[in-house]
Amino acid sequence: MNTPKLNVSGLVKKFGDLEVISNIGVTIGEGEFISIVGPSGCGKTTFLRIVAGLEESSGGEVRIDDTVVKGPGIDRGFVFQNDNLLPWRTVLDNALIGPEVSGGSDAAAKSRTMDLLKLVGLEGFEKYFPRQLSGGMRQRVNLARALAIDPKILLMDEPFAALDAQTREIMQTELIRIWEQGRKTVLFVTHQIDEAVFLSDRVLVFARRPGRIREIVEIDLPRPRNLSLKRTPEFAKYVDLIWGMIEEDVRHSVLVEKE
Amino acid sequence: MKGNSLVTSTASIVGGLLIWEVISRFLINNALFLASPSQIVVAIYKLGLSGVLWRHIEISTYEFVLGYVIASALGVLLGLAMAESRTAKSILQPWVSGLYATPTIALGPLFLLWMGIGIWSKVLVVITLVVFPVALNTEVGLLTTSPRLIEMLRSFGASRKQIFFKLSLPSAAPFVLAGLKLGIGRGLIGVVVAELFGSRAGLGQLISQSADAFNMPNLFAAVIILATAGIVMTAGFSWLEKRLVPWTRD
Repeated sequence: MNTPKLNVSGLVKKFGDLEVISNIGVTIGEGEFISIVGPSGCGKTTFLRIVAGLEESSGGEVRIDDTVVKGPGIDRGFVFQNDNLLPWRTVLDNALIGPEVSGGSDAAAKSRTMDLLKLVGLEGFEKYFPRQLSGGMRQRVNLARALAIDPKILLMDEPFAALDAQTREIMQTELIRIWEQGRKTVLFVTHQIDEAVFLSDRVLVFARRPGRIREIVEIDLPRPRNLSLKRTPEFAKYVDLIWGMIEEDVRHSVLVEKE
Repeated sequence: MKGNSLVTSTASIVGGLLIWEVISRFLINNALFLASPSQIVVAIYKLGLSGVLWRHIEISTYEFVLGYVIASALGVLLGLAMAESRTAKSILQPWVSGLYATPTIALGPLFLLWMGIGIWSKVLVVITLVVFPVALNTEVGLLTTSPRLIEMLRSFGASRKQIFFKLSLPSAAPFVLAGLKLGIGRGLIGVVVAELFGSRAGLGQLISQSADAFNMPNLFAAVIILATAGIVMTAGFSWLEKRLVPWTRD
């Protein structure tokens, strides 16, 4: 592992008496792509939101480059599950909201953001409004917006969950392509195990009640990766392995929710 | 399809006017009870030629614009206060909601007593009719700001002030415009009825004076002008909405 970028220790989150996250500790290196998978209700999104500073923890701490996280900040870029674009702003103005809010909206930020839009495949769409774009394109804006503040860490909360299966596959390869350009540190929450394996260097497998890290799986597959990797036996083995870890939890949660 | 419905609508208007013309000319045939469309057109032309009509329109327009502008500004401010401050809301809400539901137009004679026969009693009636829908719509618009979008801005470290100006205000715009649009019809009613209670000039005064003289063509002339004003202003507002808040169309 490279130099540590993100350091989480003894993280606890309680809602009243209910412990939703219990004693999470993990160190993530510079430029690592980390996915978090687990059954619903395992606190993976809550964990991401605490790292983002959108939610407060009940104990423990999150450090980025040895600075304790106390709230939201532009050292982290958040990519939301719903694109959360402002409908009255153009693609470019939406992507520029981060620099604008943090007071860095100048010509340099604008030209950098234009480059980012090009990188995510939206060249020529800068003046379009969100309602004129498809779901996949809106998620590209969502990604460009998070990258526009040049964050140290990219936090992604099931960004492709609302997309159809084909678009999702395309977006996964696109994300890999974009990530290869800058090699940002990424924390990626998903419930798709194959998505996690395909994208990541390591997968944090969460368990539920309370949410905690059950296992960390190192994905030793060559990069750069493309979709044909998904049809290899090595890939299937990783998916099986992780599925085996959470299967019982998922079954349980499905049964409990049926009652 | 769209062209077809336009043809049908036009035919409906023309047909309606024809039936009106026939009824008033041959069935009723008494200008004291009903004026025919052709008589109304002639009346408008004559009133316009004599210069009387412009005087009436000028006065009514002045009253409407004054009342409407004051009410819009006041309404938006009240709405802002109610959305942003809990105390302001507790103080204002019962009055605003109560007065919105009250036919405040009934207070017209009282305003006339207070402020005399001039334009200000009419302006006040317009204000009381327009201010409350604008205030309530502004408040609702500000309060329905999407929590998801608030969170998005928060993730970039936005302050409360930034969230207000970059998010709450623009997302309230469609609601404010809807309130202002609602105010047009109410404001026009206010002007006319307030003038009916007592005035020296204005379209409402033209109506009451024509009714007293059983001059139906002149009475209808005033009504038609008011209807046209209402239709044109509402259509203008719809056009403005398309330009200013196009994202609400879907």
